[in-house]
Amino acid sequence: MSTKIVWRLPVYLAIGLLGGGFAYWADPYLIQIALGVVVAALLALSWDVLSRCGQVSLGHAGFFGIGAYFSAMFAEFHPAIPWIAGIGACAIAAALLGMLTLRLQRVYFTIATLGFALALQVPVLIFDGWTGGAGGIAPALVAGGDPAAQLLVGTALLVIAAVISDVVLSAWFRPAFFMIRTKPELAASSGVPVVRTKLLAFVMSGALGGAAGVLYAGLYGYIVPGDVFNLNWSVLPLAVTILGGMDTTLGPLLGTIVLRLLEEVARAYIGGVGYQVVYGGVIIFFIAVMPTGLYGFLRGIVMRLRSDATKADKP
Amino acid sequence: MTTAISIRNVTKSFGGLMALNDVSFDFAAGRIIGLIGPNGSGKSTLVNVLTGQFQRTSGSLRFGEHEIGTLRADEIVRLGVARTYQIPKMPPQLTISEIIEVPLHYVARRTPLLEKLSGPEAIARFCGLTQPVSTPCGQLSVPDLRRLEVARAVACGPSVILLDETMAGLSPADATQVVDLVRAINAAGVTVVLIEHVMRIINLLCEQVVVLNNGALLTSGAPASVLAEPAVREAYLGKGYVQ
Repeated sequence: MSTKIVWRLPVYLAIGLLGGGFAYWADPYLIQIALGVVVAALLALSWDVLSRCGQVSLGHAGFFGIGAYFSAMFAEFHPAIPWIAGIGACAIAAALLGMLTLRLQRVYFTIATLGFALALQVPVLIFDGWTGGAGGIAPALVAGGDPAAQLLVGTALLVIAAVISDVVLSAWFRPAFFMIRTKPELAASSGVPVVRTKLLAFVMSGALGGAAGVLYAGLYGYIVPGDVFNLNWSVLPLAVTILGGMDTTLGPLLGTIVLRLLEEVARAYIGGVGYQVVYGGVIIFFIAVMPTGLYGFLRGIVMRLRSDATKADKP
Repeated sequence: MTTAISIRNVTKSFGGLMALNDVSFDFAAGRIIGLIGPNGSGKSTLVNVLTGQFQRTSGSLRFGEHEIGTLRADEIVRLGVARTYQIPKMPPQLTISEIIEVPLHYVARRTPLLEKLSGPEAIARFCGLTQPVSTPCGQLSVPDLRRLEVARAVACGPSVILLDETMAGLSPADATQVVDLVRAINAAGVTVVLIEHVMRIINLLCEQVVVLNNGALLTSGAPASVLAEPAVREAYLGKGYVQ
């Protein structure tokens, strides 16, 4: 069923309390882990918003990098300007890329977005007067470089991203998005302007991906092209969303947290490079046994318990 | 007699294949009209061209004062021409109510029929769906998916509705229910175009029948005379079966 935003207030409160709690009480190491989770969760929500209308992107490293670089290029202005520049540039890039690619279906769209992400390192190297080229660039530090304050900023962004995700899951958008994904002709015959709606999803998704990039760039104050235009940033949101549960707001968040925990546990117990193999194997196992993701799996358990309780109540 | 849709010299080709070849005729407003023809005769292409799924290669399609031949599907449905699909493919996780709400939100036309049927539940019941409207589409049978397809088209608030083989594969009882539904939709002032193979239904319901064959108009007129024409029988049954 479609989401009603008012009922989701406890969810936003929980995200806020969790992030705020970590910022105040956790040790510096845990705060760094939490910051990593927030960046990845923002990117995952951004990816999922687009996937709800059937467009599987491998181009989110592109938005991540554009957000990071545009924020860095406007670093010397008022602290709000890097955010506006990074997010705005991504929204424009998504609109332009969308006009070119959103008529493509399935894997053709995916490959086009992959090409977009791969190609972006080239202009960064060419226009080195603005971008710093291969040597990198120094963005303004978010919250003056204080990790706890950065986590609060990241948490606030995550709450905003969760609200946007829930708006897309509301009665106004969700059925139209799913119709576009299942049968675009059916959506068009129901009055949905298909290309324009997909473009809207792409712009929202690109802007959120850009916000993740701006936050990331401002955490440490230094970025190089290979760091932000890295395909890991395209694959990570896809992996954590599938792990956590697509078409939901909590799924990508849950997936990011669980994946990060798995990584830490595997690193602690196995170490070296072997931990990556075990960690990859565990992800495949999770996806194989929980096709609807962790969120869907947990929801299934709750529903089963609830229906058992209803049956037990009846004489 | 006023005209609902006027089709003039419409041609649609896919590369070398001429799916519609210089087709011209009118759909009379307020009637139930049968659009028939053997498989591959161009019926579905005509429906797709009329509803903006395909752009015609040449010719004119007029709906009231609008030339709809160059419009997108969502623009055409907002003007008041709705259609159903032969094979209803719905997102399995969406409920009956959510499917019906999409056109209520996005088309948002106010017609006498929709004034009477306020909300998704009333539309679902009008179209013969008996399940709770919170039932997901993934749990519906094929006849119920067809009913939901009609409900979705009714929710578009059309003045012309094109029903693409809605009765195919239905049991006689289910088909009778759809016949009543078609009459009820028509009684509310909606022009109904039935794309059908079931001749009994065409004979029973239609006041005008248009026959296509090999992408061209074969004939058009009252059902009894059209169905008796040797050319129509030949197109359907083959030359050897016509006396």
